[in-house]
Amino acid sequence: MQHSSFARRARALVAAVLVAAAPAAFAQGSIRIGIITDRVGPAKPYAEPVTQGAEFAVRELNAKGGLLGRKVELLIEDDQGKPDVSATAARKLVDAGAAFILSLSLTPATQQAQTVSLETRVPHMTPSNSGDTLTTQISNPNFWQTGPLGSTQIATLLSYARSKNYKRVALVTDNSDLGQLINRFFKAGLEKSGIQIAAEEVVPRGATTAEPQMQKVRAANPDALFMTGVLTPENTLVLRAYRQLGLKAPILANYNLSVPQYTSVAKGLLDGVTFVDAFDPAKPEVRRFVEAYRKDTGSDPWNLHGYGYDGILLVADAIRRAGGTDRDKVREAMQATRNFVGVMGAQGSSYGFADGRRTGFDTNGMVVRVYERDVQGKVVHVGQK
Amino acid sequence: MKGAALWIAAALALSAVAFVLGPYQTDIYRKLLLWITLALGYNFLFGISGQVAFSHFTFYGIGAYAIVILIFQAGLPLPLAAAAGVGLCVVLALAVAIPATRLDGFYLALATLAFAQLFVVVLNEGGAVTGGTGGLASYRLPPLFGARLDGPRYTVVIVLLLLATLAVLWRLDRSHFGRACRAVRDNPEAAAAMGIDVRRTRIAAYAITSALAGIAGMVYAFVDNTVNPPIFGLENAFLLLFMVIVGGSGSHAGAIVGAALLYLLPFVLSPLIGHHHALVFGVVMVLVVLFQPRGLVGLADARARRRAAP
Repeated sequence: MQHSSFARRARALVAAVLVAAAPAAFAQGSIRIGIITDRVGPAKPYAEPVTQGAEFAVRELNAKGGLLGRKVELLIEDDQGKPDVSATAARKLVDAGAAFILSLSLTPATQQAQTVSLETRVPHMTPSNSGDTLTTQISNPNFWQTGPLGSTQIATLLSYARSKNYKRVALVTDNSDLGQLINRFFKAGLEKSGIQIAAEEVVPRGATTAEPQMQKVRAANPDALFMTGVLTPENTLVLRAYRQLGLKAPILANYNLSVPQYTSVAKGLLDGVTFVDAFDPAKPEVRRFVEAYRKDTGSDPWNLHGYGYDGILLVADAIRRAGGTDRDKVREAMQATRNFVGVMGAQGSSYGFADGRRTGFDTNGMVVRVYERDVQGKVVHVGQK
Repeated sequence: MKGAALWIAAALALSAVAFVLGPYQTDIYRKLLLWITLALGYNFLFGISGQVAFSHFTFYGIGAYAIVILIFQAGLPLPLAAAAGVGLCVVLALAVAIPATRLDGFYLALATLAFAQLFVVVLNEGGAVTGGTGGLASYRLPPLFGARLDGPRYTVVIVLLLLATLAVLWRLDRSHFGRACRAVRDNPEAAAAMGIDVRRTRIAAYAITSALAGIAGMVYAFVDNTVNPPIFGLENAFLLLFMVIVGGSGSHAGAIVGAALLYLLPFVLSPLIGHHHALVFGVVMVLVVLFQPRGLVGLADARARRRAAP
C-alpha cells in the first residue's frame, strides 16, 4: 500500500517535471505580435502572401529558440479591407497584449489603425503598404513603414525609361482610384523628364476588351508603353490586345505586374514585359529565403511573401535590441534600426530609419525586372539614379 | 409620462454599458450604435417610404467630412460647424431629392448610386480639402462649452444620438407624415387620390433621413479621429440595405436586429470559422430573402399571430 502511494507520488512528480520541461525552450510567456490582414476584402490578393511570409518568419524564429528565449506568438485579425474595422482590430490586439502590430491591409486601413497606436503607444509598422503619406499625415512616433513608397516605384521605372532614351511614350491605365493616381504621377514624372506623351488611354473596370484603346496606341506609334493600371483583369486585356494587334513598343509596367498571379491569368502574354519590383532573385538573402520557405511549405514564395518575412524579422530585431517588450524601449530600438539587410530590396540595399524618418526602405532599393516567357526573370535596372 | 421614463431608462442603461467596457469592446459598441442609428434612418427611407436609394451612407460621409473641414479648415466653432453641417446635408439632400424623387424604383436607385459614386470621386480628387485618397486625420474633437467629450462620455453622446434618432423616426412614423409615407410606398396613385402630395412626401422623407445620416456621420468623425474615402464607398451602402432587409424592412425593431446581426457577425464568427464568415453572410442573406422576406422580425410577428389565433 505504501509502495503504491509512493509510486503514485513519483508518477505525479515525473508528470509535473515533464509538464514543466515541455516549454523549457521558452523561458517566460510568449511575445505576441499582432497582424492586421485582409482575408475577404480588396487587399486579399496582396495581404494573404504577405501574411504567409510573416507566419513563416515566426515558425523559423521559434524553431531557432524564439526571441529572447520566449516563444513568438502571432495574433492575426482580419479587417476585411475596411478602415474602421482595422482600427477595431488594432484595439483587440492591444487588449490581447500584442507587443507590436503589423498592418498588412489597405493603406487607408493602416492609417485608421494608426489612431490606435498613436493613442496606446503600441509600436506599429506596415511592411507592405506603399502610400506616400502614411508616416507624414499622422504624426505618430510609434509607426514605421518599410514597404517601398509609391513615389520610389515610379521614380525607379522612370529612371529606367530615361536610361533607354525614350522620347515619346503611351500611357494605358484603368479607371480605379489608385490606377488614376499612379497614372497622374507617371504623367507628371514623364513630362518633367521631357518625355512626350504620345497617347493616354483608359480601360474601364469591367471592360471585355482593350482593343479600341490599344489601336489608338498603335496609331500613335510610341517608343514605349507604360502600364499604370492596377486592376489585374483589365491589365490582362491590355496585354492580350498588345499581342493581338502586333505592337512592338516595349512595355514598362508598374508594381502591379510584379504580382505573380499574372503568370497564370496572363499566361503566354508576358514575355519581354519589364516591371518594377523590390525582389532580386540573385540576392543571397533571397536565395536563402526561397530555399528555406520551399523546405518549410513545399511551395515557392512570391515576392510578396518577402515583405511579411522582413516585417517580422525587423520587429524581432528591435525587440531583441530593446531586451524586452517595453513599448518605449522597443520604439527607440526600432527607430535606431540601421543597415538591416532583408529579403526585399536590391543587392546592397538595406532598411534603416536615419534622420528621424519613419520610412525604412532604401530609395535606391527597387529594381526593374523582365518577364522571360511567363517567368519573372532577371534584374535589368537598379534604383533611380 | 411612462413613455418618457422608458426613454430615460434606455438612455441610462445604454450609457452605463459605456463605463464598464474595455477599449476593444467600447470600439465595437460605438460603431454598432452608429450602424443601428444609420439603419433606423435608412429603414424609414427604404422600408417605410419605399425609396430604394443608395445615398444614405453618402450623407453619413458628407456629415463626417463636413464637420472636420468646417472646424479644422474653416475654423468654425463646434456648435456652428455642426449646425452648418446639418444645413449642408439638408441642402444637398434637397438638391438630390427634388430631381431624383421624380424617378421611382430602379431609376431612383441608379440616380442615387451615381451620386454615391460621385461623392467618392470628389473625396479622392478633393486635394488638401478632403485629403485625397488618404483622407483627413490628426484632429481631435474640440472641447464643447469647456468640457472635453472623450472616453465613455463620447460613447454617451453616441447613445443619445441613437435614441434621439429613434425618437424622431418613431414620432414621424406615427404621425400623419408617417402614414402618408406608407401610403405613398404602397400605392402612390391611391395616395395621391387621397390628397397626399406624393412628391413632397418623398422629398421630405429623403431630406429628413439624409440629415439624420449626416448628423450620425458628424459623430462618427470623432470615433477614430480620421475619415477616408473607402469607408463611404458603395460596399457599406449595400451593407446598410442588407441590414434593413435581414432585420425586417419597415420595422424599427427590424432595423436594430439587422444592424446588430450583420455588424457583429464577422466579429463573432471570425475566431470560430476564420474568413468563412463571408460565406455565412451570403447564406443568411439568401435564406432570409427566400424563406422570410419580412425579415427576422417577421418570425416574431408570425409566432405572435399563431399564439393569438384561436
